[in-house]
Parts: sequence; C-alpha cells; structure tokens
Amino acid sequence: MSISGMPDADRWEELQITRLLFGLTLEEQAEFDELAPKMPAEKSELFEQVVASIDVAWSDSKSMPLPDHLRKTIRSRAMEELTTQALQSVDKPTVANAAVVRSSKLPWIVAAACMVITVLTLFSPRQEEPGKAVVRNAAQQRAKLISTARDLVQVNWNDGPTPISGAEGDVVWSPLLQQGFMRFRGLTMNVPTEQQYQLWIFDKNQSDKTPIDGGVFDITSDQEVIVPIQAKLRVQDAYLFAVTIEKPGGVVVSSRERMPLLATVN
Amino acid sequence: MPVPILPRVARGETNAIDDCLDRYGGLVWSLACRLSPSSSDAEDAVQEIFVDLWRNASRFREDMGTEATFVSTLARRRLIDRQRKLRRHPEPLSIDETGVEYAAPQASSHMELAEDGVRATTCLEKLRQNERETLELSIYHGLTQTRIADRTGVPLGTVKTLIRRALTQLRNCMQVGSRLHAEGGVQL
Repeated sequence: MSISGMPDADRWEELQITRLLFGLTLEEQAEFDELAPKMPAEKSELFEQVVASIDVAWSDSKSMPLPDHLRKTIRSRAMEELTTQALQSVDKPTVANAAVVRSSKLPWIVAAACMVITVLTLFSPRQEEPGKAVVRNAAQQRAKLISTARDLVQVNWNDGPTPISGAEGDVVWSPLLQQGFMRFRGLTMNVPTEQQYQLWIFDKNQSDKTPIDGGVFDITSDQEVIVPIQAKLRVQDAYLFAVTIEKPGGVVVSSRERMPLLATVN
Repeated sequence: MPVPILPRVARGETNAIDDCLDRYGGLVWSLACRLSPSSSDAEDAVQEIFVDLWRNASRFREDMGTEATFVSTLARRRLIDRQRKLRRHPEPLSIDETGVEYAAPQASSHMELAEDGVRATTCLEKLRQNERETLELSIYHGLTQTRIADRTGVPLGTVKTLIRRALTQLRNCMQVGSRLHAEGGVQL
C-alpha cells in the first residue's frame, strides 16, 4: 500500500523524519500519534532503517573504541540484568508456561535454573564485596532517575576555589522527586576518621549563607563513585551544588575553606 | 555476514555480552559522542542504550535487517530522546555556525561494513553534494534544522526539503538494492 496518494502523507513523512533526526515537540508528537494509526505500518520504519544504515556506514567504531571503565560498568549492569531475568523466570512462571510444565520435568528445570544462577554468580564480578553492590545499586537508581524524571537537572562538576586536580563528574537532580545523585571520578579518596566530603545545595529560595545540607559522604574508590544526595530540607529551586571537605560527621555551617567542586545550574 | 549475537543475549548467555560489547561498543560509543552535548552525557547514554539492547535483544529478526542496523536504531532512538529532553531550554541564538568546522564523516571500508551499511554508502554517493552535506550535518553531527540553516545560509524550508528529498532517494535506492540482492545476489 502506497501512502503517496493519502491525505496527510506529506505531513506524515515530514513528522517521521523530524522524529528520527531531531525529536518531536509535544505538539508534533500529538500530531504523530493521531496520524500513525492511519498509515501503513510497513512504511513507517523504512526511513528509520535508512538512517540506521547511514549511522553504521559513518560510524567511527574502529577509531573510537568503548572506553574501558565504561565497558566494565556496562558489563556489570548486563550481568545484573541477565541475573534478574533468570531469577524472575524461575520465580514467576507465566500461566501459559506453567500449564505446559509437567510435574515430572520440574526437578530438571529447577536443577537447570540453579545451574544458570550459579554460572551467572560466578561470572558476575566481585559480588562478594558488599561495597560494590551498593555502588551498582546507586548506578542503577541514577540511570532510572535519568530515564524517568521529566524535570531532570544535570550539571557537570567544575573546579571550586580549592580544586582537586583531575576530579570530574556531574550531578543529577529531580526537583519533583526530590532525588538526585552525584557522580565522581578522580576525586581523592578520603580517610573517614580524619575528614569527609559534604554536599551543599544553594536554593534560590534560601539565603546563600545557609545552603541546604546535601549529606556527608566518602570517596572509597579511585574509579567512578556514585553517591545519592541526602538533602536535609526540601530543595525548591537549586542553582548551585558545592562540595566541601569537613571534619568527620560534617558540619552545620561550613567555613567553605576547602571547596574542591562546584556545579552551577544554568 | 557475521553470526548474530543478540539471539544469544536473549537466551541469557553471559559470554554473549562481551561479544556484543566487542562488536557494537565502538558503534554505539561513536554515535553517542556525536549526538551528545558532553562526554558524561554520552557515557550515560551508552549505558542506557545497552540496557535497552539487553531488554530488546529478543526482538531482533534477521529478515528485517542486519544486527548492526538494529543496534544503531535503538541507539539513535535513545539519543534523540535524550536530546529532546535536554532541549527544554531554547537554543542560544548567538552560535555563529559559519565559524564552526564540521569534518565530513569517513565511511568505513566495505570489508568492515554489514550489508545495509555497504548499500547505504553506495546510495549516498548518488546524492547531490548539497543533499549529502545537509544529511551529514543532521545525521552525523546532530545539528538541528535551524542550525543547519544558519551554517549553510540556506533558508530553513529548503533545509527541510533537502533532508527529506535526500532520505527519500536513499530509501528508494536502498529498497531497489535490497530487492536486487535478494533476487540475484547483485551487490550494490
């Protein structure tokens, strides 16, 4: 079925291309959703295949290999994803699946499932380290926040008045959910009994002399560290995130003498 | 054509993850770097794309296209969605596009490309120069239509027309190539 003779065919193509290359506005998306059921399904993916093929042809995959640290993070998340899927399929068989499972096969299936879980556990890196599990959970929660929060603020760390060379990362924060995460790489590991890092959130509705305490935290690795933000008060309109170095346990009011990182919201 | 990896991922084979990262890590990373505003944003995007890939691995069908095309489709969807979310604030008007250098993409050699990629490269060569340049700025460099207009000095409406005409020609060219290839093994 050709769409060329159909009313709205031109507009449909235009919307398809805009969606593929630039993303649709809310109004365009509404128009797209309205037109989509009227258009032949087999035609709707052709432009997408063309653009995907060009992306493959123009990819710089040889000269731009995936960075090692990123590969490790993705691999770790993949193992969790596969483990979760395996566990879900063992714990919650669907009605259709359950109906065809004969009771005589159950012991074999249970044994096979146990083997799968054992293999996945063996391949999953460093699961015996409790600290690592926390890091992965924070990474997952952060990724979920990024993909779901519609009001997400994301800003990069920049040097503060007393910078730490090589420290970088970013802050993500959802005002609606009052949830956020800090990500660091290259920030010096601290000895918690001597000093700790503390986050301060500067809010437009709050005096800059009394920023909101965003929580005390430690840097326990020279690799990527993700720390949940623990705001002590409701953050209404954050314009600046700042990290200071304080005595163990943190302070109520910071002298701001050691402030290695700042992240300004545009 | 390389043996697909995604069916193994869908079956939960853990060693398929490494194979998948070996084969498609560079493709996804290069796309993310080009279509993200910063390297940290690109890193987030790549993680999201691979999670999408693990979850949708079972949807890959060999008769619908190559695995590389499937991967780049998922990647682009995610990247454009992220761009759209980031574009809540209007673009600054002060960007002087005429002073920015945008290098032309280097097509991978035919030896390295999957079938769809080879066909795309061949069809791209048939486009007019202004059509190809406009596609490079939008697809490869991720510029918006407004910025392409600023960059090239061509009216916005003409930019839209050029992109659409180029993609329509590519679609037709690739469809013909695909049909010929299926019928008689003709290599485009």
